[in-house]
Amino acid sequence: MKKVILAPGAALALILGAAPGSALAQEKTLTISVYALSQDEYKQIVYEPFEKICGCKLVVETGNSVERLAKMEANKASPVVDMAVVSMADALSAARKGLIDTIDRTKLSNFNKLYDIAQDPNGDGMSVGYTFYATSIAYRSDKMKIDSWADLLKPEYAGHIAWPNVTTNQGPPALYMLGRALSKDTPDLKAAIDAVGEKKDDIVTFYEKSSQLVQLMKQEEIWAAPIGRFTWAPFTKLGLPVAWATPKEGQTGGMNVMIATKGSKNRELALQFMDFWLSTEVQTKLAEKFIDSPANKEVKVSDEIAANLTYGEETAKSLKLIPSAVALDNRAGWVKSWNEAVGQ
Amino acid sequence: MNARTLFIPLTLFVVIAFLIGPFLIIVAASFSAGETLAFPPQGFSLRWIAKVFTVESFRASFGMSLFLAIGGTAAALIMGIPASYALSRYKLPGAEVIRTVVSAPIIVPGIIVGLALLRYIVVPFGVGISLALFLAHTALVLPYAVRVVSASLDNLRSDIEEAAVLLGSSRLGAFFRVVLPNIRGGILSAFILGFVTSFNQVPVSLFLSGPGVRTLPIDMIAYMEIVFDPSVAALSSLLAFLSIGIVFAAERFLGFSRYV
Amino acid sequence: MARADISLQGLAWILGSSPRMTAQLDTGEDPTMFQNRAEALALALPAAIFAAAVFLVPVLILLSDGFRTPVGGGWSLSAYTEFFSSPLNQTVFLRTLRLGAIVTVVSAVIGYAAAFAIVSLEPSTKGKITGLVVLPLMISPVARTYAWIVILGRTGIVNQAFQAIGISDAPLRILFSETAIFIGLLQLFLPLMIISLISALENMPRDAIPAARVLGANWFQVFWKVVLPLTREGLVIGGTLVFTGSLTAYITPAILGGSKVLMLETLMYQQVSVSGNFVSASVIAFILIVMSFAANILLKRLATARNRRAPGRSASA
Repeated sequence: MKKVILAPGAALALILGAAPGSALAQEKTLTISVYALSQDEYKQIVYEPFEKICGCKLVVETGNSVERLAKMEANKASPVVDMAVVSMADALSAARKGLIDTIDRTKLSNFNKLYDIAQDPNGDGMSVGYTFYATSIAYRSDKMKIDSWADLLKPEYAGHIAWPNVTTNQGPPALYMLGRALSKDTPDLKAAIDAVGEKKDDIVTFYEKSSQLVQLMKQEEIWAAPIGRFTWAPFTKLGLPVAWATPKEGQTGGMNVMIATKGSKNRELALQFMDFWLSTEVQTKLAEKFIDSPANKEVKVSDEIAANLTYGEETAKSLKLIPSAVALDNRAGWVKSWNEAVGQ
Repeated sequence: MNARTLFIPLTLFVVIAFLIGPFLIIVAASFSAGETLAFPPQGFSLRWIAKVFTVESFRASFGMSLFLAIGGTAAALIMGIPASYALSRYKLPGAEVIRTVVSAPIIVPGIIVGLALLRYIVVPFGVGISLALFLAHTALVLPYAVRVVSASLDNLRSDIEEAAVLLGSSRLGAFFRVVLPNIRGGILSAFILGFVTSFNQVPVSLFLSGPGVRTLPIDMIAYMEIVFDPSVAALSSLLAFLSIGIVFAAERFLGFSRYV
Repeated sequence: MARADISLQGLAWILGSSPRMTAQLDTGEDPTMFQNRAEALALALPAAIFAAAVFLVPVLILLSDGFRTPVGGGWSLSAYTEFFSSPLNQTVFLRTLRLGAIVTVVSAVIGYAAAFAIVSLEPSTKGKITGLVVLPLMISPVARTYAWIVILGRTGIVNQAFQAIGISDAPLRILFSETAIFIGLLQLFLPLMIISLISALENMPRDAIPAARVLGANWFQVFWKVVLPLTREGLVIGGTLVFTGSLTAYITPAILGGSKVLMLETLMYQQVSVSGNFVSASVIAFILIVMSFAANILLKRLATARNRRAPGRSASA
């Protein structure tokens, strides 16, 4: 019985000790919030080397952009996270909600090495791009032929397509391209949403987690889905003829950016970390492992590696991106018309 | 009679196949050599079982979940045993209210509990996520602790305890020497039920995750959001065998079925 | 097998509060050592205060959010009228109700068949089979749900079997449908129903069924007039658990339905995480709780109504 009585005391001590930012944490800690992708590689290439340089400890929170932003908003009064990486539109959203500060670019020695479009993606000085990606269609080349985004809605492919949900990062860009294919590309995406809504019973699922697509592709549940280039690698290992489409309307995509939380007590450290991540050395290593396409123009990779990435300023510029402000101002409307046309 | 002899095995076969089938598929997939979850498995290998042990976040979240399941259930029992004792032995004013309050966490959807804790405990009081998880899991297990222990106490006649007191034992002494040994089967059942409930809990923990703090099931979901390989199946099988092992060992060495 | 017994009794205890047992105790007079109310309160209050502070108060505050006026500090039902005016929300609400009801009814039907089969077994086999029924409860719902993706997929065993025996020519699309959610929920909660019904059947007087048979009742009448009234408590407990469980399950609808087949719980998560709409989340939370309570009351009523009529009928027969 004694043991049992002791347990909660010890338990409590353990909990309190484990709580972030507690008295136990003597050394400096930097809390970062990132996408959950490729954490093992990030750890090896970015986190651990940085911990050695700064003599501090990194605490990492992972999750998708919107969820993590919702958490940052909930903790606005006493921020937990010091720096975060989010999508371009979410960075603007965070800026409008007063969650982030201007990034002091004089502290970033690698700032001038960045592509022009990555230096200040939203034009407010509050974010810095560190990678970008193309979004196109992964498809079974033995079963179908994709020349246009509109091909996904062809009747012969009914029952074999997965489409990103409007709430994901890939959703609006894919709809935007479909709108272009239908030559009705208004910012409200109405035509594209209605077109998808009309065919909603023919679409296998409106996916939220892209990892599931690999399983679905393997099970022949789907033949095609719009995806971001950063989730492409697993499809190539399936032993199936899966190809990356180059539709005539072009490819879309997105840029991921770094932001600094307002009220963070570790600003210097956060900037030091950002600078390290943007350095030519780190960006090259991330590119070589196919993790992130570089935003640093000094990064040089082989043609073979470049072919698996979204490499080079020209490529980046050619992507048909939705401007952040458009995305943000229309997001609620997109979700509303999506729910009306597709959700029921 | 003929129809009956056929009915029983057939019904049992169908029902058990339906209930156990998915588990067997998960176990089979753990030993697959392929890149994705598939049945029948493609080849045989231990690579996914081995991979489970190399994923660092699994180790941290396993520790967290184990701690929540053991610590939370223990804390719930520490509060639950006296409460059950009071509810079953005394004529308590407002006994029904207390019973309802204590069992409320079982009725309310877990996702609501997690969200409510996040918004009205974690954020306003600056409570750490680990502590919030501990509180939530304790509250979640409390109804099990109170109900199971109460039932155990109800089955135990109160006169042996009275006899002990009449023979000069202190009240506390009587409780520890007479009551506790007699309800230890109930306590153990409550512990195992609480442990399993807490360990597999998803909805409550959904909103309660923070930098570096996550329960294992949430971590498994998060992992599958990125990689869809059989390592999660391997981990699930390992966990299932672990919990079966715990129950089996509890029975083997403590023989607690005698007390239940 | 001991595990079966533990879980069985443990579950029965959790589910049914033990009014019968307390009633037995109350018939005896209270010995003086159990009369100190202050002592009793001191023992019971820590648990009650803990549950209230950590759980009840935050949840009540959350629920009250849904009754606030959008601006100012007044009270109103506008969030509810707004919620129910959206066609999507109506669909999701009805779907949740429908799936919950179907899962409950189907699990009761299968549950009775399985429980009958199990209680008629030899004691040692009974223990082992009950153990197998309880086994899934020990396995993470995450893993259990993922297994269905493999089983129900286009190339999965179900479709292979269907094609082999000629039910369908081409593979059926089962994933991401209400059917998939139904199957997942049924597998998740059937054990609870079976276990509740096993306890109920075991507590039934042994000669009830033979007696009815001797009196000339057919099996249907035996079930309807004898078994059902005598096992109603188990059915109410099992039914409430299955229904509430189906309403509030998160992983199963999230994985097997996705955003195409939303249920209230997945809709609520979406509202919070994607739209940051806490008011709407509070509305859904309240609806879920009301539905759980209503189901419990309804099931109790149904069972009691049957039970009251039963003696009258048998007397006239």
